[in-house]
Amino acid sequence: MVLNSLSKRMTKLISLGFVLLLLNSPAMAQQTYTLKFATLIPPDTAWVNRIQQWNDELEQQSNGRLQLKIYPGGVMGDEPDVLRKMRSQQLHGAFFTGYGISRIYPPARVLEMPFLFRNTEESDYVRKQIMPEIEAGFEQAGYQLLGWPEVGFLHFFSKLPITSLDELKSRRIWLWQGDPMGEAFAEAAGVSPVPLSIMDVYTQLSAQHGSIDTVYNSPFGALAMQWHSKLSYASNVPMTNAIGSLVVSERFYKQLPQDLQQLLKTTGKKVAEDINQDSRRDNAKSIELLKQSGIEFSWDWNEAEQQQMLQIRDRAAEILNESDYIPEAHFSRIKNILSDYRNNQPGQ
Amino acid sequence: MNKSLRHLLLPCLLLQLGGCSFAELTVRASMPMIEGGMLAVNREDDLLLAEAAIPANIELMEGMLINAPAHRELRNYAAEVYYGYAYGFIEDEQPQRAAKLYRRGLNHALYNLRDQGISQTLLNGPLTELEQQLEQLNQKSVPALFWAASNWAKWIDHNRNQAEAIAQLSRAVLLMQRVLQLDETFYYAGPHLFFGVYYGSRSPMLGGNFELSAKHFDKARQLNLQPLLMIDLLQAEFLDRQMFDQQAFHSRLSKLIKQDVSAATDLALINNIAKRKAQRLLEKEAEWF
Repeated sequence: MVLNSLSKRMTKLISLGFVLLLLNSPAMAQQTYTLKFATLIPPDTAWVNRIQQWNDELEQQSNGRLQLKIYPGGVMGDEPDVLRKMRSQQLHGAFFTGYGISRIYPPARVLEMPFLFRNTEESDYVRKQIMPEIEAGFEQAGYQLLGWPEVGFLHFFSKLPITSLDELKSRRIWLWQGDPMGEAFAEAAGVSPVPLSIMDVYTQLSAQHGSIDTVYNSPFGALAMQWHSKLSYASNVPMTNAIGSLVVSERFYKQLPQDLQQLLKTTGKKVAEDINQDSRRDNAKSIELLKQSGIEFSWDWNEAEQQQMLQIRDRAAEILNESDYIPEAHFSRIKNILSDYRNNQPGQ
Repeated sequence: MNKSLRHLLLPCLLLQLGGCSFAELTVRASMPMIEGGMLAVNREDDLLLAEAAIPANIELMEGMLINAPAHRELRNYAAEVYYGYAYGFIEDEQPQRAAKLYRRGLNHALYNLRDQGISQTLLNGPLTELEQQLEQLNQKSVPALFWAASNWAKWIDHNRNQAEAIAQLSRAVLLMQRVLQLDETFYYAGPHLFFGVYYGSRSPMLGGNFELSAKHFDKARQLNLQPLLMIDLLQAEFLDRQMFDQQAFHSRLSKLIKQDVSAATDLALINNIAKRKAQRLLEKEAEWF
């Protein structure tokens, strides 16, 4: 009995010693985390350089406890591939466009409703108002939204002139395969688009008898993807301000100590803002570069066309509401915030 | 002008003309030495010696071009040597300096192309107009087109953070496409290596095409009678990396390093550069995969 009690006490002491040993071990003190981060953006471009700087900052401020491993240029595949890899924990973070975002929290794409914002001041204002609920939506889906760098205003680009809605309807327009928002707009406009993975767009534009002759992209996107070398015309009026997001999986985020969670959030927000500025600068510059390349920007809408476009947009919103992709309440709320903002602007 | 002054000026004028011709004649007479020098450098298997020797060759060529600015062959050699020096010895350690050297190489090649109707205005203008003018060029323009496209693509590569540079890539590609049509064997099947890298270094979304890239690398192998290690090096660095194929990347580079290429004497420099670069790439394996 005495022996038994002694043995128990010894076991406790040994266990305690072992635990203390573990706590004091360098391995515990220097627990490091590597966030595997993927993006479609090519290496050494301004945006990826920002991600690299983000990594430097994380490493420095965490004393080497948190770092990124960056996979740029789409080496990890298209956005759905990256999401799949994030779910299987092969990857932990990524930069997503609206296409990827739609697979995480579709209502966030209300910000991409065409012909909604007149300028970036309007989109910045509205986004700020609804950001808390978007962040909550991401979290519920198992992701942490770190920042919101935008892709920029999208234009139509074509091999053939686009000077009216009827002309646009007669073109073979690319649709990002599996994008409910694009599908809704095509249906509302009475257009029969050609669904293709974004990976196949360049090949189809290059082919002599390719399946598409018209695409949409931001000016910088059209340049960076070299689509511009296959196109001759662009629409003057942008369709929408395309969104982007800097995302980390909740599982990775939760395993970080609180100080590193905080560090990831604050630095992630900052890098997204920096990318946003780069994006706006590069898109503005790219319009001039595209014109120099011989791309002709045309089609300024008249009043009737503008009304027609807004009707198409509202019809698409109904379709998206019916499918519960973007509930009507979300769209109404955005329109109300925007309306209040516009009414408070000088001269209104 | 009085008669005596005219008499005085005439010999001076003749002297000047004679002097100008003499400089050009000297440059022409020196070309075999330049060609011999290029061959000797290409046969050099001591990288340190080659690295030390090339700058003197560059300065010699620049000096000769001051006397004979329109010497096409010399311009092409200058464009080639700037490319080779920047790629082989500078870009891994000093990328920004390499970009400046590629720019110099590009300027030499463009000087030659200007005489063939490819003006700076055309190079900056609509792509269709450039394409049409390129159609007019023949075999004679191949070296200038090749070195312009090669230096240009490298300069762009080192300036990918600028939208202006990215916008120029399609122009460099048009130049090299014309070389591919005119002479696919030029500079160790260089046009195929260019397009192997072009299609292999980007995701399909950005215009990459892995199958086409592999075909270009294979064609370059087929066209080279001697072993050119640069083909495997570039395939590993760009295509294998983009396809995220670590095993192919590792085995291709490891095999390359061990390969005995001593029999290919004219390729000694380029093959030794490939071996050194392969070693550097293997050191990045853990970072990339």
